[in-house]
Amino acid sequence: MPEFRFEPVQMPPAATRLRAEVRGFLDEEKAKGTFAPTVGAMVAADPSFSARLGARGYLGMTWPKQYGGHERSALERYVVVEELLAAGAPVMAHWIADRQSGPQILKHGAERVKKMILPEIASGRCFFAIGMSEPDTGSDLASVKTRAVPVEGGFRVTGRKVWTSYAHMAHYVIALVRTGGRPEDRHVGLTQLIVDMKSPGIEVRPIINVYGAHEFNEVAFDDVFVPEDMSVGGIGNGWAMVTSELAFERSGPDRFMSTYPLLVEAFREIGESPNASEAAELGRLVAHLATLRRMSTSIAGMLNEGKSPVTEAALVKDLGTTFEQSIPEITRRLLPLEPRGGGNGQAYDGLQQLAQMQAPCYSIRGGTREILRGMIARGLGLR
Amino acid sequence: MSNETEDAGVRHLMLRSLDRIVEEKAENAAQAADGKPGFPVDLWSALEEAGMTALGEENEGDLGLGNAMALVERAAYHTLPVPLAETILARRLLAKAGIEIPDGALSMAPPSAIRDGKATGVPWASSVTSVVTTTAPDTLALIDAREAASSGFNMAGEPRETIDLGRARIVASAKLADAAKIVEAEGALVRAVQMSGAMSRVLEHGLTWANDRIQFGRPIARFQAIQHLMAELAAEAAAGSAAALMAVEAVAERSDRLAIAIAKARTGEAAGRVCAIAHEVFGAMGFTQEHTLHYATRRLWSWRNEFGSEVQWQAEIGRAIAAGGADSLWATLTAHG
Ligand SMILES: Cc1cc2nc3c(=O)[nH]c(=O)nc-3n(C[C@H](O)[C@H](O)[C@H](O)COP(=O)(O)OP(=O)(O)OC[C@H]3O[C@@H](n4cnc5c(N)ncnc54)[C@H](O)[C@@H]3O)c2cc1C
Repeated sequence: MPEFRFEPVQMPPAATRLRAEVRGFLDEEKAKGTFAPTVGAMVAADPSFSARLGARGYLGMTWPKQYGGHERSALERYVVVEELLAAGAPVMAHWIADRQSGPQILKHGAERVKKMILPEIASGRCFFAIGMSEPDTGSDLASVKTRAVPVEGGFRVTGRKVWTSYAHMAHYVIALVRTGGRPEDRHVGLTQLIVDMKSPGIEVRPIINVYGAHEFNEVAFDDVFVPEDMSVGGIGNGWAMVTSELAFERSGPDRFMSTYPLLVEAFREIGESPNASEAAELGRLVAHLATLRRMSTSIAGMLNEGKSPVTEAALVKDLGTTFEQSIPEITRRLLPLEPRGGGNGQAYDGLQQLAQMQAPCYSIRGGTREILRGMIARGLGLR
Repeated sequence: MSNETEDAGVRHLMLRSLDRIVEEKAENAAQAADGKPGFPVDLWSALEEAGMTALGEENEGDLGLGNAMALVERAAYHTLPVPLAETILARRLLAKAGIEIPDGALSMAPPSAIRDGKATGVPWASSVTSVVTTTAPDTLALIDAREAASSGFNMAGEPRETIDLGRARIVASAKLADAAKIVEAEGALVRAVQMSGAMSRVLEHGLTWANDRIQFGRPIARFQAIQHLMAELAAEAAAGSAAALMAVEAVAERSDRLAIAIAKARTGEAAGRVCAIAHEVFGAMGFTQEHTLHYATRRLWSWRNEFGSEVQWQAEIGRAIAAGGADSLWATLTAHG
């Protein structure tokens, strides 16, 4: 029977020093007025902030120095990431590059590409987008239709990607494309290509989301040239690449801390002497958060040891997104907007409104809750 | 071999030998004991002989607590109807207060249920040698309650008895700062650990059942609705066990009431969901006395109430963070790495 043990990790002393250092940096930034805590750092992108993080060595932290990395442990990186999220810092510009694309290129990219791109990501000046979804391809990722046709020295890509987060800021997009076979061939013939956003034939159109923000995009590729060595993991290995990539991103603190700043503001509004139900509702959320953090750091420890806790990571994402979605639902019961006049400029009011509107996406992006539960069920031996 | 791997080895052997004892002596123990006073003495002797009843008393930096709680968790997985958790806990409390530890099975009275000269909800009060109680908020006492207890049971049919304190004999007592709060908290820790064990039993049971039960010509495990329910059950059980484990480590290192509060709050909540899902998946069969599912689920329903329900502990967490101010939340969560 599968047993899920979330063993403790010992944060190295270096991580504790680093935490203090990051807090100092964030206090300075807040004092300068660079940012106000936002729900889900997932909304705020600030390229100059990302560059300052890069300059301080907070990006590409675990990568080899020869690629601009800092050779620090996964746990040190974990500390930096969670401090940024807890502060509600504007991390979205570099987020995908640092969390997902960079590590993939490091592992599976061609040498020339690694030398060209990784130091740029680590410096906080090179951003990535993920081009998996298409108009007719959502959960069923293997059905992608975007095609890459071999030509002299590379490929020509034609097709359309949607929901491509931050493509309008990105320098590259990693697109999942069909290099062989037909959509019916499913997992066979798929390749991940790193496409330079400056290439002729790419067009980015904003898609405005539910709360009126421009975060995702439609990206159209019309006969876009991509050099041969710009694949991740080689031609035809796209499926293996995306599945391992998604497993990577499932258990981080960004999967349960999106609405953390709202929880903090709710504590502030309620003050030092909560009544019984306020204390219990908020205390319940703290118990969930502390537990999720334990599970998530434990997985960081497993990844550090070279294990691949795929089902554990899926469990954390399922619990985590449910938790971050519950925060606005619970705080609005304790601190209703209406008598307060709603949107009166208080930090709480703004966060409460944004969180309610943003919450649905937590269990959609990066694989829906239903898809995730299917994966957990597979891990449990039920399918 | 490092201390840690040596300890893991010891723990593994201990848990396997518990499994063996259960196989030989306790296959149907939970059923036989259900709703009856006392506990199976031969099972208890076997545990005692195996050195499993006197663990976890060291106070400082104790590896002992981790092993003791691993045993308590496993015993709960087996739904053993014996006061093993209570005895381990009582010994720990007596050691803290410097009271000499008597032989045999022990128990303790939940401090919040002591009033008007009576202690209620005391596990196995009439059948253990002595009971640890608090006679004042800062006084721990050991009493012999065998002649002073009246019968009663929790939802799982485990003895939870009422002691007429005026008729019980005080064997020893000593000052212990915050005695009542400590008993409440350590009791909550133990129940959280037990819930973790019982939830893993329910998960295991549910997985086997889902793969075996055939409807519409296939195992119900093939239905996506069942898969998703079981995924949720597994997630809740995993969260509960992570919270309990975290508290055990915290308490082994320092006095950490907040970690216990988090554990009891989280396991208690998980237990509710785990039981609800399991019963849904088992259908009518799981609703019968004949089936064994309820030995674990009735314990979970009981244990989530004992030594403070999740709501009480949630409120304590909420008040603690609020008192420190909103910005103390992050500092508190990251205080120990
Ligand atoms: C904010 C946001 C940012 C995003 N950013 C990106 C990005 O940067 N790059 C990118 O490529 N994509 C991105 N996405 C897209 C995301 O990956 C998809 O939305 C997701 O994979 C689901 O696809 P879909 O929206 O087409 O829903 P569908 O797949 O059409 O699903 C609709 C519903 O059907 C359910 N369903 C589908 N299949 C099954 C099944 N087999 N069993 C049970 N239920 C099923 C789903 O769970 C869902 O409830 C983003 C999405 C959001 C909301």
